[in-house]
Amino acid sequence: MTDPIIEAHNLTVLYGRKPAIWNVDFKLPEKQVIGIMGPNGSGKSTLLKTIMGIIPPSTGYTKVYNQELDRVRDKISYVPQRQEIDWDFPASVWDIVAMGRFHKRGLFKRLTSEDNDIISDSLQKVNMLGYAKRQISQLSGGQQQRIFLARAIAQQGDLFLMDEPFAGVDIATEEMIIALLKEMKSQGKTLIIVHHDLHTAQSYFDHLVLMNTRLVACGKIADVFTDQVLTDTYGGKLTTISKISQELENKEFPIRHK
Amino acid sequence: MIFLQSISTLFSNDYYTFWVVAAGAGIICFAAGTVGTFSYLRKRALLGDVISHAVLPGVVISFMLTGVKDSLYFLTGATISGLISIAIVDYVQSKSKLKPDTILALTLSVFFGVGIVLLTKIQHSGNGAQSGLDSFLFGKAASMSLHDVTLFSIIAIINTICIVLFIRPFSLISFDEEYAKGIGFNVKFIKYFLAMLTVITVSIGIQSVGIVLMAALLITPASGARFLTNAIPKMIFYAGFFACISGIIGVFISSTGTSMPTGPWIVVVLSSFTLLAIFFGKEKGIFARMQTRKSNQIKINNENILKIVYKTSKEGTISVPIQDIFKESSDKSIRLTLKRLEKNNIISRVKGMIVLHENGKIAAREVIRKHRLWEIYLSKYFQLEADHLHDDAEGIEHIITPEIEKHLITLLDRPEKDPHQSEIPY
Repeated sequence: MTDPIIEAHNLTVLYGRKPAIWNVDFKLPEKQVIGIMGPNGSGKSTLLKTIMGIIPPSTGYTKVYNQELDRVRDKISYVPQRQEIDWDFPASVWDIVAMGRFHKRGLFKRLTSEDNDIISDSLQKVNMLGYAKRQISQLSGGQQQRIFLARAIAQQGDLFLMDEPFAGVDIATEEMIIALLKEMKSQGKTLIIVHHDLHTAQSYFDHLVLMNTRLVACGKIADVFTDQVLTDTYGGKLTTISKISQELENKEFPIRHK
Repeated sequence: MIFLQSISTLFSNDYYTFWVVAAGAGIICFAAGTVGTFSYLRKRALLGDVISHAVLPGVVISFMLTGVKDSLYFLTGATISGLISIAIVDYVQSKSKLKPDTILALTLSVFFGVGIVLLTKIQHSGNGAQSGLDSFLFGKAASMSLHDVTLFSIIAIINTICIVLFIRPFSLISFDEEYAKGIGFNVKFIKYFLAMLTVITVSIGIQSVGIVLMAALLITPASGARFLTNAIPKMIFYAGFFACISGIIGVFISSTGTSMPTGPWIVVVLSSFTLLAIFFGKEKGIFARMQTRKSNQIKINNENILKIVYKTSKEGTISVPIQDIFKESSDKSIRLTLKRLEKNNIISRVKGMIVLHENGKIAAREVIRKHRLWEIYLSKYFQLEADHLHDDAEGIEHIITPEIEKHLITLLDRPEKDPHQSEIPY
């Protein structure tokens, strides 16, 4: 593989004693649409958050562009899960998308007119410019997802990490996001998407990471999206791995002996 | 009369001190309102309560160590023990499985309990200098010295300036801490800085409202302000402003009464402001919502009458005898609705006939169109008996917005007929 954009090495992330991600290694290629899939609680969101440096790994590391995260953070755009947010917050659509420019301006500097142009453009891209002054509490699920997407676009990264952007959105929004993804890919962006709908996986992704706390498979969609691998990910092994995790949690066993 | 007299004496020169104290209390309360806005937005209302109770041991210990009642020592002691309480809450939260509310309640009671024990101990020690320490419980702004007022006001002003400067990072972590971390902000620093500002504000705030009611001074202004605006900078300003006014009025009332504690009065005034905001706030206030419901009802009545007029008018004509309308509808407010429609130039009444104007015709067709589109939508996507469709659509026809209508038309592929084979008027 030429120059992986993301590399995970020996990655383990624990919540307390319970592993959310367990000894995972993979490399992901540039300029592709990459899906991360697995059953509920299989560590997909945790993986994105670890890559973004939001959750520290317990052992191992992830590297982006083969560098320390802080040196390449400007190149990463992040779309968190919208369900984790309290939308009854006193802010307008514009205020939220403007957050996408904060990393450039730091804690205090005012946004420039260039920033404002970028914010408008981003809203335009997701068809939400007309809603700029709207209170975020009045938005539908699809509209919430669009403005999170707009905020990520305003960050102007080369690598997009999206946590379940298709969860609970209307068809029009889903189609719009897909069209945007294709456009971004053609501009040379890399898109990594946590997803849970197996039916659409083949048409959306070029590359797939299948995980269930441990890595089950990682590769081109044609190689990975097979009945066998899907059974491995979603099927019987689920119970075994989660039973072990529960045991670690309940009895306070260490994950490895030294 | 006594009241008026007390007011007029207030403005004499003798009351210079009173006004300084009132202004000081106002400034301190302003700071509490602004800092409290973020406690409110971060859903840390209870943390304010914990901090204010947790500063008591700090205050008492600083007196035990120094033996003098000096506000600077009190402030230092209060700040230290407040910060310790926050650190404990954070640590226990990350290391144990206890739920947040349990941790908060435990920390609050342990600190406050220790504080009260120490306080009782020195009250029985026979040290005359301790008298008045218990005013920390309910606050006694009126007894603040000029020196204290100046000191506290300066600190409060610095605090408020910090809040205004940090409005961006504070808002960001209030909305989504993880995103803030993800884009590279030092969230830990921002959180602890905000916590420190809160602790300092509490430490000076308890001088005027007391420990027991300090949490109210942090949270009440923000919860009222939330009803008035949807923008954080405005919210901070309103919260600070209401707290400030309440502070001044509270000091005023407590100084007229005999040995009246300041804290409860400030909180009473503040709560009245908040109640007013809850009732009269635009958009979110109770009256605004009643208004919305009323205008919805008017819209429904208007549209129903227009529909009847349109439907009962015979092909080609657009006038209907008024009696026919009464036959069609059991609505009691028909006369009122007709009058309103006439006033708005949508219909006119000529010799017992109702004439539908062009704009009325368009409006009537719109309602009928929405009604029938909704029936098609229901019958296509849901299992619903044909005779149930109409009742459902009777309600929904008034709610469908132009965007939803457009969406329905696209979704249903611009249908010509509804499930009852009536034509859809485009």
